[in-house]
Formats: sequence, structure tokens, C-alpha cells
Amino acid sequence: MPVIGSPPDAVRTSGLRKAFRVKNRAVEAVSGIDLTVAAGQIFGFLGPNGAGKTTTLRILTTLLPADAGEAFVAGADVRRSPLQVRRRIGYVGQLGGADAPATGRENLLLQGRLYGLGAAETARRAAELTEALDLGAFADRPARSYSGGQRRRLEVALGIMHRPRVLFLDEPTTGLDPQNRANLWDQLRELRRTGTTIFLTTHYLDEADQLSDRLAIIDHGRVIAEGTPAGLKRRYSGDTIDITPSLPSASLPSLEHDLASDPFVRAARTSGDSIRLSVTDATQAMAAVFSLLAGRGIGIRAASFAQPSLDDVFLRETGRSLRDAGAAAGHDAAASTGENASTGEKVPA
Amino acid sequence: MTFALQASLFFRRKLLETLRQPVWIVTGLSTPLLYLALFEPLLKSVAGGAGLPPGQVLDVFVPGILALMAFGAGMGAGWVVIWEMDSGVIERLRVTPASRFALLLGTVLRDVVMFAVPAVAVIAIAIGFGFHAHWGGLALMLLLLAALTASCSATSSALGISLKQIGSLAAVVTGVQLPLTLLSGILLPLSLGPGWLRVLGHFNPMYYAVQAARDLTAGAIATATVGIGFLVTVAIAVLALWWGTRSYHKAMV
Repeated sequence: MPVIGSPPDAVRTSGLRKAFRVKNRAVEAVSGIDLTVAAGQIFGFLGPNGAGKTTTLRILTTLLPADAGEAFVAGADVRRSPLQVRRRIGYVGQLGGADAPATGRENLLLQGRLYGLGAAETARRAAELTEALDLGAFADRPARSYSGGQRRRLEVALGIMHRPRVLFLDEPTTGLDPQNRANLWDQLRELRRTGTTIFLTTHYLDEADQLSDRLAIIDHGRVIAEGTPAGLKRRYSGDTIDITPSLPSASLPSLEHDLASDPFVRAARTSGDSIRLSVTDATQAMAAVFSLLAGRGIGIRAASFAQPSLDDVFLRETGRSLRDAGAAAGHDAAASTGENASTGEKVPA
Repeated sequence: MTFALQASLFFRRKLLETLRQPVWIVTGLSTPLLYLALFEPLLKSVAGGAGLPPGQVLDVFVPGILALMAFGAGMGAGWVVIWEMDSGVIERLRVTPASRFALLLGTVLRDVVMFAVPAVAVIAIAIGFGFHAHWGGLALMLLLLAALTASCSATSSALGISLKQIGSLAAVVTGVQLPLTLLSGILLPLSLGPGWLRVLGHFNPMYYAVQAARDLTAGAIATATVGIGFLVTVAIAVLALWWGTRSYHKAMV
């Protein structure tokens, strides 16, 4: 029984495992996942394709039985009381799930009735959601005529028709253009404001970074890092400074050596005509670097600094870049030999 | 109560889906009428032989056509299920608290209606052309064939869910269609065939339904054939509904 006054965790799992048989060989998709998601937050589940995100989500939404481990969602045991879980959660799958021959409104009305809402209440809620998600103009047209963004909004509306406590979304912005993507992010934030816990999977770094309050990074069926986006980046890697001095490249190595001895600099590496510095704090290091160069009368052709991205976190834990990991699933070794600290995703203005 | 509501919601959804595609309604009615118009004259010319008394061709042939309609009305379900799995509809509905049996039943009931409505029309037209029918028997026969449609519909859904591919489903359905329909004596009574063919027919569950349907339209209601026909058909329907529900429980792309 949950203690009164402290809302139960929205999601809690321990030792979750699931294997599939592929060509008569057992392949473990989820290999012991422990997660805790507090109520009322947006929780991001980040990982490359094939990492086990969707399988985990399917276990949590009662679509797939786990081989081992426990999972509680919205206070109910996924294995023992799946019906309780289903009543309390909403789900927006990767494939969508809008019924194409039916109109948007018919989709919503059926969904509401299936969750046990009365006819009048269902109609009211459907009207409310067509308004909130901007579906009004085509609510009475068949869903098959919708554009990608319109259909996705309908699918989100279907997921929240019964005001679930926890909403699960599997890769919700895949295939959306930037405009629709930004809109969906806003809608999800609005939903969190009204108290809904949101659990979403994504393979987009910026989505996990900007949207989630907390996130777990998953690879090969295991959680390899968990925390707030800022905390993870701080814990795993510092800032990066790229500097291009007006020097012939022959004299770069000695400058690199001198820069590396600066207390703010953790590592220095020359590539091409520029030097890349890993630093603990870019603002302080930048000043130190500039004064060192000015003292020697060396001009600067270009300088930039970048904060770490979640990709650095992924790289530190797996030796691969998340960007490569999706495409290079199966030959991971090849991906790790390439570019190392590929930051620079968010260069501040 | 909840279950009945859910089943009726799913039935309504499926019925709307069909009514919006009038092409199905047109072919549902025109195919059996074409059989009547084109096949019946052929039969007439072979009538008078052993199992086919002259002058009653329609009485033998109409129950067969109706059984064929019952089979056809059910077997299409799997195609739509595959499409619904691919577009995530099944997955979404499986996350709702809705009963999986109600979900299956929505399609099954729609298919039964899509069998029964044209069936009544075909009977009416056939009567105009000299088909003699016993009313009570006719009503019981429609009930029996509705159970056949339910079996086919549930089986087709289950097959669609486990095969996942339209191509595989089409291969299986067309593969079983010919032996099932031929060996049930739908188009021509098996009594016209040699002994080994009649023996083979006894392994075909549809054979018993068609035999019973012929007895029923002739007004022979309290016969062993009718009893066996109902027993076999209802048993198969229960099995098929169980299989279909189980498949929906596990449906996964």
C-alpha cells in the first residue's frame, strides 16, 4: 500500500530481463534494468536503435511479459495486475495506432468509452482535446487523410483521452519536421504541468537533453548512466575549447604542450591547424589561454567553446558515439575508432 | 455489462468501416448472384444423375452457395488485422483495459452480419427462381452458417496475427480454400464422387455443416446429420474464438 501523502513512484523496475529467439539463438534485448521514475516528471529513455528501449516500454505497458524481474507502474504490478496498469497509463506507440478509416473524433470517442468514460463525458473530453491539440479543423475527416504532424497529435490525444497518470511515448518525434517537433515538446511540457508523468524513449540527443527532467541512457539492454541531463554532462565530461592560433602548424605541438600544463586544462590535442582543449571550466580556461597567447604575441584566427553533450556521456561509457551507434549496430568496434570528442553541438552565442 | 458494451463498440467500429467501403457490399452480393446465374445452368445439364435429382437443382445448390458465402465473409478478417498491426492500432487497443475477446468479437459479429444480409437477399432471389425452402429449417441453417462465418473470421484473424505478412496469409487461405470447399460438397454434392473422395470429405469440418444445411433447407430438421452438423460447427467455432482471443493477447509486430 502506498503511504498517504507521498505519491508512489510512477515507474519502478528491478532486474527486468527479456530475451527473444532469433534464428534459434536467444538474444537478450533487456538485461537487468533497474529504474525509478518519480511522479510528475518527464523521464527520457535515450539509446541507439536496438538498445532495448522499445522492449522495456512494451514490458512496462503490459504488451510483453518480462522473463525476469519486477515492474510497478502507477502503483500497480505489471505482471500481477496488468488491468490496473492499463487503466492508469496512456500509450503512444512508435507505429502510431490511429485507426485510419475512422475520423479523428470517432477514434477519440471509442478510446474514451473503452476506458469506461460515459458517453457525455467522452464527448466533452474529445472536444477539449481536439481544441487543445489543434485538431478541430479536421476532427471529422478520416484519420488516413491526416498529415504526419496531425496524425501524431491525434495519437497523443488518444494516449491522454482518459487522463492517465503516466503517459508512455515510444520515439514520439521520429519523422516529424522541426516545427511539429517543437509543438509536441511544448504539449508534453504542458501535460507535465498538469501532473502527468511522461516516460518517453528517444534516440535524439537534443530531445533527451532539452525535454527530460531526468534520463537514463541505455545500451545493449542495460542502463549505463542515469541522472539529470546537466548532472550527467557535468559528471562525465568538462567543456571543450577549440582554438586556431595564427601559427604555422609545425609550431603547434610545442604550444599544445604549454597549454596542457595550464591548471584549467585537462587534456590538449592538435588536429589540423587548431588545438582542442578539454577543460574543467571554459570561462576561466578561456581567459587563461587568451592571456598565455597574448603574452607570446600569438594572434588568434578562431576560437570557440562547446559544452559537453549527452553524446560525450555515451562515448565515455561505451566507447562509441551515439550518432554512429544506431547506424553501426553490429559492428561497434568500427564506430569507436573514429572521431573522439565530437562536441560543439551547442556553441553559445 | 462492460464486456457487452466493449463488444458493441468494436462491432460498431467495424460495421462503419465496412459501410464506408461500398465496394464490399456490392461484391458481397454480386458474387453469389453470379454463381446462381452462371453455375446453375451448368448444373441443370448434369442433373438427373445419381446424387442430383432433376428439377431440384436449386434446392441442392443454394445451401452450397450460402455456405460458400459464409466461408468468404469470414476469411477476409485476417487481412485487416495485419494492416491494423502494422499501423499500431492493435497495439494501442491492447494497452486499453478493453477485453481481447470483445475486440475479436467486433470483427466476428460484423462478418456474421456481412454474411447474413446478402444471404437473405440470395434466398429471396432464389425463391423467385424456384427454390423450395422450409422456413424453420432455413432459419436454423442461417444460424448454423453464421457459426461457420464466426469460425472462419476468428481463424482468419488468428492466422493474420501469427503470420504477420499479407503474402503468407493469402497463400494459406487460398491454399486451404479449394480443398475445403470442394471436399465439403459446396458446389457439387460429394455423393457424385467416388468412394475415396467421400471418405476424404469426412475429415473436413465444413462437410458436416454443408450436409446439415442441405437437410435443413429440405425441412429435415430432426436428423442425425443436422445434429452432427451443429455439434461439429459449434465446436469448431468455440475453438476458433478461443484461438483468436489468445492471438490478440499476444499480438506483436
